[in-house]
Amino acid sequence: MDKIYRFGLIPLLVFVLIFPFSACSQKSSTQPTGQLEGTITISGAFALYPMMQRWAEEFQKSNPNVEFDISAGGAGKGMADAIAGAVDIGMVSRDVSAEEEAQGAYWVAVTKDAVFPTVNAQNPVLQFLLTNGIKKDVFIGIYITGEIKTWGQVASQPEITDEIHVYTRSDSCGAADVWAKYLDNKKQENLLGIGVSGDPGLLDAVLKDPLGIGYNNLNYAFDTTTGKAVAGTAVIPIDENENGQADPNEVIDNKAEAVDIVANGIYPSPPARLLNLVTKGKPSGLTQAFIQWILTDGQQYCAEAGYVALTQEQQEASLQKIR
Amino acid sequence: MQVRRPASSLGVRRRRERTARGSFFILAALPLFLAMAILLALLFRSWPILKTRPLWNLLTDKIWLPSQDQFGFYPFIAGTLWVTVVAMILAVPPCLLTAIYLVEYARPRLRAFMKPLLDLLAAIPSVVYGVWGMLTIVPLVQAIGPGVGKLLGFIPLFSSENPTGFSILAGSIVLAVMVAPFIIAVTYEVLHAVPDGYREASLAVGATKWQTVKYAVLPKTLTGITAGVVLGASRALGETMAVLMVVGNVPKVPSSIFDPAYPLPALIANNYGEMLSIPLYDAALLTAALILLVIVLAFNILSTLLLRRIAMRAKG
Repeated sequence: MDKIYRFGLIPLLVFVLIFPFSACSQKSSTQPTGQLEGTITISGAFALYPMMQRWAEEFQKSNPNVEFDISAGGAGKGMADAIAGAVDIGMVSRDVSAEEEAQGAYWVAVTKDAVFPTVNAQNPVLQFLLTNGIKKDVFIGIYITGEIKTWGQVASQPEITDEIHVYTRSDSCGAADVWAKYLDNKKQENLLGIGVSGDPGLLDAVLKDPLGIGYNNLNYAFDTTTGKAVAGTAVIPIDENENGQADPNEVIDNKAEAVDIVANGIYPSPPARLLNLVTKGKPSGLTQAFIQWILTDGQQYCAEAGYVALTQEQQEASLQKIR
Repeated sequence: MQVRRPASSLGVRRRRERTARGSFFILAALPLFLAMAILLALLFRSWPILKTRPLWNLLTDKIWLPSQDQFGFYPFIAGTLWVTVVAMILAVPPCLLTAIYLVEYARPRLRAFMKPLLDLLAAIPSVVYGVWGMLTIVPLVQAIGPGVGKLLGFIPLFSSENPTGFSILAGSIVLAVMVAPFIIAVTYEVLHAVPDGYREASLAVGATKWQTVKYAVLPKTLTGITAGVVLGASRALGETMAVLMVVGNVPKVPSSIFDPAYPLPALIANNYGEMLSIPLYDAALLTAALILLVIVLAFNILSTLLLRRIAMRAKG
């Protein structure tokens, strides 16, 4: 018994106590041979999460000694974590404010996506919505002023009195921020509706409610395997030129078309927006190498992952910023 | 080889006793210091907003638009209280009856099977309760809302204007299930502790089982049951994740159980990340934390006083 205590238990205890820390001790070091190794921790926007996973995967192929720790929790969390130094990189799917920059947030744009309005597939006026689209003023009536209360009002068919069930995000996030910005430059706090947590949560609420309307990031609005809108929901075209109908180039049938109209600027911006990575101060070492790789080699993976690669100018500007 | 030391002298033993006593005291006082430290830290961080506007306005204003410099906490305080009160109304009666059944009526085998099962409910993580609430309770409330609204809508408490199901009622049902194991466990122990002599005496004079429970057992246990309910309510006041997922998160003062609400813990959890971009936002969120802490403290102090009075009256 004594022996176990002396020679078994104590080393075990020491091991258990030290083990969790040993993983962190070899952080972010660039070896002289140019071989990168270390761990990069990343948190933040749901919008960037799938893209970041893809980038990390590809980056690891050429740098097998680099570990990634990526979590999604909304742009607000990414920003707070990055400034607090809790992670190396924060994913932020909205503009970075001057106050945040004053606290040390250093940002570069890495790719582009958009937020799309979604409704349930059993919507009473679905056909109208798909062929005519919705104008910005109508969205404002639904989400900001609350003057438009029924689907009949949206479709100018007063005999339809089904109420609109408005859903929004409850957690502070880039999607809500950019959606509010599109609606007359408002803020997330101005959006009406029932608050649901997280991008998947909001989609789920719309999926369950035939009279629901919500908004989702490109990669949550479309199914990853079929490329169509997630089964049970429909993505509503925005009637940007206000001609009262959804023109062929405004209609969004699948993810590829969505990426296209965001890339060529037909889809309004906002709700299209640049997605940013935020570091505390100018990035260095491994973090810098990874961001630089994202801005160069990493751009080729954007399209297939459902994002829009940066234009030549944007790419130059971002590279300029981290060098 | 072991050398047996001579027994310590009286002086050494006394010194040891004093050290032990001192260190135990420090450990025992630590939680109190911790509570004070948290309170002070929150007060310090919320000071920027507390010094610029009167506390009364913060507590009673109804408009929450931080980017327009409007910080009214009233909807959140009301939301917290609504959700908690409705949850307790839903939870307490069934919990009491369950505990009474388990102690007084159930066969030992059933009891041995049921008790661990109920304790298991307490071990389920709150986010699981939240997901369950979203999947089943929200659609349920959505389904019954209009019917109840039509039937009882003349009472403002039951008028149904929010058709989505994300509501105080959904949050309260989830909360009621979450706090049930605590209330049941405490009540069970308290009932169990009543000496069998009371029951035997009551049965001996011809009382039925229910009469025995009602007149002999329950009066003895009022203090203990109240303590169990207080424990459950304290937990309900602070529960965050499960409520946040089903309660709707709309910063408006609710007037019906079918309205959405926005309790204080949800406000903090939803927005803590975003605190950096708007001046005073950080202070406002920490003020929310401070208000929540004060509510929970006040509730606990009041219920302790109440318990003491009940105990005194029971003795006197």
